[in-house]
Amino acid sequence: MRKNISGIVVSLATFCAATVIDAQSMFRGDATHSGTFAGPAPRQFHRVKWKFPTGDRVISSPVFKDNVIYFGGDDGNVYAVDAATGRQIWKRATNGPVPATPAIADGTVYIGSYDGKFYAFNAQTGAMKWKFATNGERRFEAKGLHGMQPKDQTIADPFDIFLSSPVVANGAVYFGSGDGNLYALDSATGDLRWKFKTGDVVHASPALADGVLFFGSWDSYFYAVDAATGKEKWRFHGGEDPLIHNQVGFQSSPAVVNGTVYTGCRDSNLYALDAATGKEKWRFFNDLSWVITSPAVAERKVFFATSDSSLYHVVDANTGKPIVRQQGKAFMFSSPVVGGDVVFIGVLNGTLEARDSKTGDLLWDFQVEKSKQNSGWVLTGDRKFNVPFSFHSNWREAPLVATDQQIRIGGIYSSPLVVNGAVYFGSADGFLYAVE
Amino acid sequence: MTAAGALVRLITILIVAAAVPCRGEDAISGRWEGTTRIPDDELNVIVDLAQQNGAWVGSIIIPGLGIKGTPLTDIKVQPPDVNFAVKGALGIQLKLRLDANNKLAGNFEQAGNRAAAILQKTGPPQVEYPPRNTPVAKELEGEWKGDYEMLGYTRHVSIKFTNGSGGATADFVIVGRKHNVLPVDLVTQEGVLVTVDSHDIGFSFEGRLRDGKLTGAIRQGAIETPLVLVRAK
Repeated sequence: MRKNISGIVVSLATFCAATVIDAQSMFRGDATHSGTFAGPAPRQFHRVKWKFPTGDRVISSPVFKDNVIYFGGDDGNVYAVDAATGRQIWKRATNGPVPATPAIADGTVYIGSYDGKFYAFNAQTGAMKWKFATNGERRFEAKGLHGMQPKDQTIADPFDIFLSSPVVANGAVYFGSGDGNLYALDSATGDLRWKFKTGDVVHASPALADGVLFFGSWDSYFYAVDAATGKEKWRFHGGEDPLIHNQVGFQSSPAVVNGTVYTGCRDSNLYALDAATGKEKWRFFNDLSWVITSPAVAERKVFFATSDSSLYHVVDANTGKPIVRQQGKAFMFSSPVVGGDVVFIGVLNGTLEARDSKTGDLLWDFQVEKSKQNSGWVLTGDRKFNVPFSFHSNWREAPLVATDQQIRIGGIYSSPLVVNGAVYFGSADGFLYAVE
Repeated sequence: MTAAGALVRLITILIVAAAVPCRGEDAISGRWEGTTRIPDDELNVIVDLAQQNGAWVGSIIIPGLGIKGTPLTDIKVQPPDVNFAVKGALGIQLKLRLDANNKLAGNFEQAGNRAAAILQKTGPPQVEYPPRNTPVAKELEGEWKGDYEMLGYTRHVSIKFTNGSGGATADFVIVGRKHNVLPVDLVTQEGVLVTVDSHDIGFSFEGRLRDGKLTGAIRQGAIETPLVLVRAK
C-alpha cells in the first residue's frame, strides 16, 4: 500500500512537472493562452545570463521544452538554443522572416514563416519532418492606411508585425495565415484536415479550449470554430473604420479562461466574450489606442497594455472594472506574462519591464544597448517615442521609414518567457536575451 | 581737465559703449548655415536672424525634419549669446554663442536630447514671415455649425468668424468625446475659399459659401473628411 502511495506520488509529481514544462512550450504558455507561468520570477534584476545574436530582429517569442529555448528570427531561421548557456544547438533556414512563435509537441517544432510555408522540424536535430504551403503570406493593407499618403495608394501595414503562432492538440496543429484562412493540419504528416476562410489577414494566434478554437481576423470579426470539423460556432463583430482602416481588426491573440474569451482589438477595446455563445460580457475602451497585446489572465484579473497611449492596465476578469492603471513610456505590443507575483512586458522603446502583479508598480527594467544609443533620436530624453521628430511626413515611404527606425532601436515585441527564475525575450536589436 | 573736456570724454565713452553691442548685434544678423550631429544622422540647419523695429525676428529651415521657414520664438540676443526656440510641436531650442571665428556654436536641444551645433554666416538674412489673417466676407461673420464622423463617432464643429483690424479671427471648437477649443493660427479668405487653420494641433477647415452653407472639408492630420457648416441658430 505504501509502495502504491509512493507510486501515485511519483506519478503525480511527474504529471505536474510535465504540465509545467508543457505550459511553456507554445505561445502564451499553453493552448488557452493564459500567459501565466508557474514558478519563481525575479523581483529584482541581477544580470544578463546570456544574449544570443541572430542576423535580424527577433519579434518571435521564445518557448521552452527540455532545457531548450526555441524561437524564430526575422533572419529567416528557426533556432534551438541551450537554455542554460545560450549556445546554439541547431538552426534551420526558411525562406522568409519568422516573426511567429513555435509550438513544441511530440518532439516536433511547429512554426510558420513569411515565405508562406508552415514547417515541422525535429526538436532535437532541426531536421525537417514536413512543410505545408499556404496560399501565401501578406500583411494587412488598405488605401490611405492610418492616414498615410497618397490616400489612394494601397499601403501594407508596418505595424502588422507578427505572424500567427500555432497551437497543437489532439493530433492537429492550428494556425492563421495572411491568406485569410485558419488552417488545421495533421500534426504528424502535415496533411490538411480543414481550413476556415475569413475575410482578411489572420495573424492573431488561435487559442483552444474545450474543443473550440478562438481567434480574430483583420476582417473585423472574432470567430469560434469547432476544432474537429472547422465549422463556425459563432462570430463577434468588432469595430470598423472605412475611412483610414486604423480602428479595425483583431491583431491581439485571445486568452480563454473559465468560459470567457479575452481579446484585444485594434478598435481600441479589450473584449470579454462568452466562450459558449460569443455574447459580449464587457468591453474596456482605450480612447482610440490599439490593444495589440494579448491579455494575460491570472487570479481573476486581466493584464494588458495599449499602444499609442502606452498604458498598462489590470482589470477585473468578471466585470472589466479597472484595478490598476500605470502610465508607461512607450507603445506596448508585447504581450504581458504573469510569473508568480511579477508581470513582465516588453516595451517598444527597447525596455523589458517587471511590474508588481498587485500594484502595477515598476520593480525593475532592463534597457537594451541599442536603445541606449538612441539612433536618430527616435526616443526622447526620458525614453518616450519622439513622434514629431520621427514622423514629420505622412507621405510615401516617410512613415514607413520612421516606423522601421523605431523598430530598430531594439523594440521588444516578443512576449517574455519565465522559466526557473529567468526571463527570456527577443528584441528587434537582433538578440534573444536571458536575464535573471 | 576742463568741464567741457570731461563732457566730451564722457560722451565719447558713451558712444563707444553703445557702439559695442550694436556691432555685436550686427554680427548676429544674417543667414547662418551649419549642421548638428545626432546619433547616426546629421541634420542641416539654416537659420535667418534679423532685427525689425528694434526686436529680433527669425525663421529656420531643417530639411531632414520637414521644417521650412518656421518662425523662431523666444529669441534672446545678448552678444555673444544667441538663444531661440522653434515654433511648433517639436520643441526645438538652440543655445549658441558667437565664437572667435565668427561662428555660432552651441547646442541643439529637442525633447530632452542634446547635440552640438555649429553654424557660420553665409549672407544677409532671408527671414520668412508667416501668412497673415485676412478679413472674411460680411456674410461669413458669426457662428457656423456642423457634424462629421471620424474613427467611429460623431464630432460637432463650431466656427465663429469675427472681423477685426488685423483681419478676421475665428473661434474653432470641436466636441467629440472631449470638448476641444482649438488654437487658431490663421484665418484667410481667398476668393470664395475660406480657411481656418490650427497648425500646431493639426486641424484645418476649408470651405466655400454656397446656398447659405459653408461646404468643404475638415482635415485632421492627414485625414480629410467632408463637412458642411450651417448658420448657428
